[in-house]
Amino acid sequence: MLPPFNIRQWDRVRAAHLLNRAGFGGAPEDIDALHALGFERGVDSLVKGVDDSEQFPKPEWAQPLNRFALRMEARELSQEERKLKFDEIQKQDREHQMALIAWWLGRMRFTLNPAREKLTLFWHGHFATSAEKVKNPYMMWLQNETLRRLGMGSFADLTKAVARDPAMMVFLDTDRSRKLRPNENFARELMELFTLGIGNYSEEDIKEAARAFTGFKFNDADQTFRFAELQQDDGEKVFMGKRGKFVGDDIVDIIMAQPQCARFIVSKLWTFYAYENPESALVENLAADYRKSGYNTAALLRAIFQSSAFYGERAIRSQIKSPVQFVIALSRGLDVGLPPAPALSGIMRQLGQIPFLPPSVKGWDGGKAWITTASLLNRYNLANFALGNGTMEIERRGKKRAANGPREIKIRKGPDLQEIAPTELRAKPQELIASLYWRLFNAPLDPKHAAPFEKFLSGKKMPLDDASLRELMHLMASTPQFQLT
Amino acid sequence: MDHDHIIEPHTRTLHTRRNFLRTSMLGAAATWTLPIFLERTFASLDAMAADSAIQTVTGKDGPILVVLQLAGGNDGLNTVIPYADDIYHRARPSLGIAPDRVLKINDHVGLNPKLAGFKSLYDEGHLALVQGVGYPNPNRSHFRSTEIWATASDAERNDPYGWIGKYFDSCCAGADPTVGVSIGGETPQAFSSPTPTGVSFSRPEQYRWVNSKKADADQAFRELNQPDDAMMDGLGGQANEGGSIGAIGGSIRSELSPLDFLQRTALDAQLSSDKILEISKKFQPAVPYPRGRLADSLSLVGRMIAGGLPTRVYYVSQGGYDTHSNQGGTHDRLMTELNDAVSAFCADLKAQGAFDRVMLMTFSEFGRRVVQNGSGGTDHGAAAPLFLLGGGIKAGVHGAHPRLDKLDAGDLIYNTDFRSVYASILEQWIKAPSDKILGRKFPTLPILG
Repeated sequence: MLPPFNIRQWDRVRAAHLLNRAGFGGAPEDIDALHALGFERGVDSLVKGVDDSEQFPKPEWAQPLNRFALRMEARELSQEERKLKFDEIQKQDREHQMALIAWWLGRMRFTLNPAREKLTLFWHGHFATSAEKVKNPYMMWLQNETLRRLGMGSFADLTKAVARDPAMMVFLDTDRSRKLRPNENFARELMELFTLGIGNYSEEDIKEAARAFTGFKFNDADQTFRFAELQQDDGEKVFMGKRGKFVGDDIVDIIMAQPQCARFIVSKLWTFYAYENPESALVENLAADYRKSGYNTAALLRAIFQSSAFYGERAIRSQIKSPVQFVIALSRGLDVGLPPAPALSGIMRQLGQIPFLPPSVKGWDGGKAWITTASLLNRYNLANFALGNGTMEIERRGKKRAANGPREIKIRKGPDLQEIAPTELRAKPQELIASLYWRLFNAPLDPKHAAPFEKFLSGKKMPLDDASLRELMHLMASTPQFQLT
Repeated sequence: MDHDHIIEPHTRTLHTRRNFLRTSMLGAAATWTLPIFLERTFASLDAMAADSAIQTVTGKDGPILVVLQLAGGNDGLNTVIPYADDIYHRARPSLGIAPDRVLKINDHVGLNPKLAGFKSLYDEGHLALVQGVGYPNPNRSHFRSTEIWATASDAERNDPYGWIGKYFDSCCAGADPTVGVSIGGETPQAFSSPTPTGVSFSRPEQYRWVNSKKADADQAFRELNQPDDAMMDGLGGQANEGGSIGAIGGSIRSELSPLDFLQRTALDAQLSSDKILEISKKFQPAVPYPRGRLADSLSLVGRMIAGGLPTRVYYVSQGGYDTHSNQGGTHDRLMTELNDAVSAFCADLKAQGAFDRVMLMTFSEFGRRVVQNGSGGTDHGAAAPLFLLGGGIKAGVHGAHPRLDKLDAGDLIYNTDFRSVYASILEQWIKAPSDKILGRKFPTLPILG
């Protein structure tokens, strides 16, 4: 166990920090509510969460599709008809994929269980799988559900489930791995990226693990997992010093017995939730408990959120918001909705992170990698857009791009400015600035940073009108500081 | 296509950080009431050497390097094909390319059939291929191997900065932020340096801060996006910036904190966006480009070159090369895209009269295994060829083709260290001291004509 947080230090700033890191932040009322629960109940309420799954039913198109039967039917058609049919399916797949992105982001925005969605986002970046190769929105949805369902439980169970997940099997070619010619892709990434980290296994281990994962397939008809015994290499393998007729699950068990596995996951989770380059003593401490608990991730999260280090100097306001965090926290802070798909996909692309479309199996590098000159400008412009100011240009993709150039989208409904800044507040510049700052930054206003805003307001008529209020908030959001959480 | 429009000198000098900071708060006015922290900063800047208006190293007419990353591990054996070697055909019963389809370079190797444009460039005298490129103790992880190529470090070490970042750091201190331009999403690791250098964008028309265009909002914006004091002291650059290529900055500066990093990026974004926007409005591609992301990226590079952006290194990338299964169709498509995009780019440069100034280098983090796997694809390998092209290149074949009968755990053994290629480019093309940038001397290849 790590040195615990000093409960007497519990205040709104730390409640805000917890809400932003464990979840996606919130409006001032949400922070107040968490603060009011007190530290222990606050952490508990987040980790336990509320089950609001019925609020987010699966999309009606998210059904298995019997593609084998489709292909057989298509044999009856002429070549032209076949092409039309498959083009139609492809078009639908693309639409559904964009709808899926919006579905998940919407869930992150509105769920009463933000800790679970944030953890699902972590697992998605960890077991990174891209729709670009998988090309099957139902399977992407299925994987997302698996990560959500098992994410808080045992990491060992989660890993075994992911090994059988159809989208993962397509992404890392497990389904094509044959007895005589095993495909190494999954075995390598399992160890390098998912469990142990580079340098903690040998090339031989990869080859042997690949043999153990042969025979993994899924049914074309309904995308459920099946085990093809004939394709399974059931011979003896030597893996990490152990000898046996191992199958996939055995490999995972052996990996979980390595202390390095716990260290690797703990380190990644700490980096995601607290800060980069955690101290090795801290990692060892948490990793020992993680292994003892049977890799219980909920318990690990609880330990992280209850530690003093989580609220320390290295952690507070030290993290560059990911694009998803940026969008969801801004929407929650302003209490606005999200743009519809496909505009939303376009926005996420410009910011550099599209859920379900990680750039590679390594997921997203995060941290400073989120920030380039272009992505920073895009964040500034998106904030403007979210505030209800004007339009945003989204680049089109593919054929449409050549023909039409970028498209403009208008926000449907900006934030409720009366709610955010009632008239009485608008007549008091300093209080107004402090209030808006708190809403946007969830941090106390550093006097050094107040000057430009005060100067901006000094020429304006009081009480401040809507346009100037929006402009002021836009200025606040168009700063390097706003990128930190 | 407006090559007669030259960017006026005064706008060019505006885009050094010092000039920007002097003038941004003021517009054209000479009377200033500066916030105190900026005043103090100008004092410290003045204490350093005087401005050099034109950075000789990154001048408008200097040589340009375009780095084209083939991400995923390009199958070198099917790119530069040892068509005369029986082992090749036996190892790849379905993936092997028949000798009569290969675009022959000599009696031993030829190019993939989809690389007709590359073959023309070779015949013209403007393309060189380097065979068997790799490094000792090859790593077969995408991420680690890419990192090794990006940092030019030995496989056992963990150097933090990119080889191009180190070049920027030692030879381009104080240069325009657009000294390095990467087209696309993330900053490539090859650019990483103690202070972030280089800009990234994919759509120049959107590369700007959108606001109401009221002067006071603009001014407040600039003020909010100035770096603070401590950051400012590090910004000015070295005393002998620009001209003296041999002098290295000296101490390694510490990694910036997230906030400092953000502030520096914000400043560079402002400095570069006007220029890039301006160019993107005035210059369109000189030739038609095919469709596709790579072509889009190269076409953008072409426009920036036409517009006189003082960039020394451009970075573009093409993904999708990790062909573990069903390689045939995918690799064909990738080769076609590569060929068509690069050929259009060369034609563009020739039409602009810039072909002699530009060198393009392709690289991939590793090649692939000799024997095809059970899924109609290939797994991660080691040594592979790379291409160098441009008006200044001397056509030819460097390095020997790795032997197919002597492998390292199924993989080709390298005979040309990739850092030799980097050293050759640094010394001969960019005229920078390769041993200081790469950490030691590597034997070079005679790449220039």
